[in-house]
Amino acid sequence: MSTTPALPHASSEKLHLCHAAEVREGHVKGFGPLEGYRRKIIVLRKNGVLHAWLDACPHYSSGTPMAWKTDAYLNGERTHLTCHSHNALFEMDTGKCILGPCLGQKLTRVEIVVDEDGDVYAAAPGEGGLI
Amino acid sequence: MNIIGPDYLVFGVDDVAAAIEYLTAWGLKPVDVTDKGGLFETLDGTGVIIRHKSDPSLPPPLPTSNMLRQQIYGVRSAEDLDAIEAELGKDRRVTRLSNGSIELKDDHGFELKFQVTIRRELDMPAEKINAPGAPAQRGPNEIGVWEDMPALPRTLSHVVLFVPDIDIATKFYCDRLGFVITDVLTGAGPFLRPKANDDHHTLFFIRTPEYMKGCEHLAFHMGGPTELMVAGTRFVKKGYQSFWGPGRHKFGSNWFWYFNSPLGCHFEYDADMDKHDDTWVAREAPNGAEASQIVLFEYREKWSPAGGPPPGAKG
Repeated sequence: MSTTPALPHASSEKLHLCHAAEVREGHVKGFGPLEGYRRKIIVLRKNGVLHAWLDACPHYSSGTPMAWKTDAYLNGERTHLTCHSHNALFEMDTGKCILGPCLGQKLTRVEIVVDEDGDVYAAAPGEGGLI
Repeated sequence: MNIIGPDYLVFGVDDVAAAIEYLTAWGLKPVDVTDKGGLFETLDGTGVIIRHKSDPSLPPPLPTSNMLRQQIYGVRSAEDLDAIEAELGKDRRVTRLSNGSIELKDDHGFELKFQVTIRRELDMPAEKINAPGAPAQRGPNEIGVWEDMPALPRTLSHVVLFVPDIDIATKFYCDRLGFVITDVLTGAGPFLRPKANDDHHTLFFIRTPEYMKGCEHLAFHMGGPTELMVAGTRFVKKGYQSFWGPGRHKFGSNWFWYFNSPLGCHFEYDADMDKHDDTWVAREAPNGAEASQIVLFEYREKWSPAGGPPPGAKG
């Protein structure tokens, strides 16, 4: 089960991403771009915990999309989020780049909450979310 | 030294199945490809060779996350191989293989191989256009586009390398192998063409830190800008990720469209590149968005304006 903080009643400022069951352990999916966000939001599950990252590699200041195909965000060993521009590898749970052009930099975390029905929401931009 | 350009680029990948899917969808033809990898050809026989990164038959990897393992250059004749061996044998090990090709490393440690080129001569028309004031290139009843028109990569065009030292790279390829600088993007690096190729560039360098050393992208010539945009649009519709383009570069004048890939670098469709000879004087411009392109567009889904008032409007 996810240990992501539960939100009893999702407020209207939260943007619906997916249902928690859609993202299985070790898997990654991209959603959006949601209103107000310039890129998709990457949702993954690692050690039971859901994490969400902006689909924007920090190599370039504008941030560039990382998949090579829809939802193809992982390296071949499926151990790291990967930017398929230049094969930068990021830790799935910290977003830290451990190899590649943006070594030492981090992906932008998107704060998420899961309500009692298992629906996953991202904070709206300007409400702690990042565009 | 009559070097023509890259015959093949060799990659050691971490997901062979993904690379096979990608290269096939890109429009390359699998040749003797198994679940261990193989060769993917353009129409003239140049292309990409992939193996799993643990395959012992591959040249050693770069000390970075880049997957490029070897650049295989085509030359006109065996005499050109002898000339390269004589020149580079002065200060490094040059290995002669049983088929006559030679292997060595450049001054940044990139693995190179030179062989008598395998490329087949193409006999295909370029994209034809009609314009007032000029003779029609497409005559009466000859249409320009159709839904299932072919749009396949014709040849491997060029490779772009991330290198830590532009001077070292330029001196090696120009002073030792006879490449010529066609233009320079200051702050990035020079465009180079080899002696036996009149394309604006088959090689370009971008200066980066040592930990990025590797292949930034490889490019494939298409039959014209329409083929480029048709191929790119089909690729996007299959779910592949656009990185930059479509657009048209200034230096080289080539149309471009870059995509992410599971080979750790970008893949580019290009078309309609300038040709040069030895009378050309290299230009120079500071690297940046203005110098990089004359126009830039972004893919969007098809739509069309409909006639009449919007649905529900009172007429």
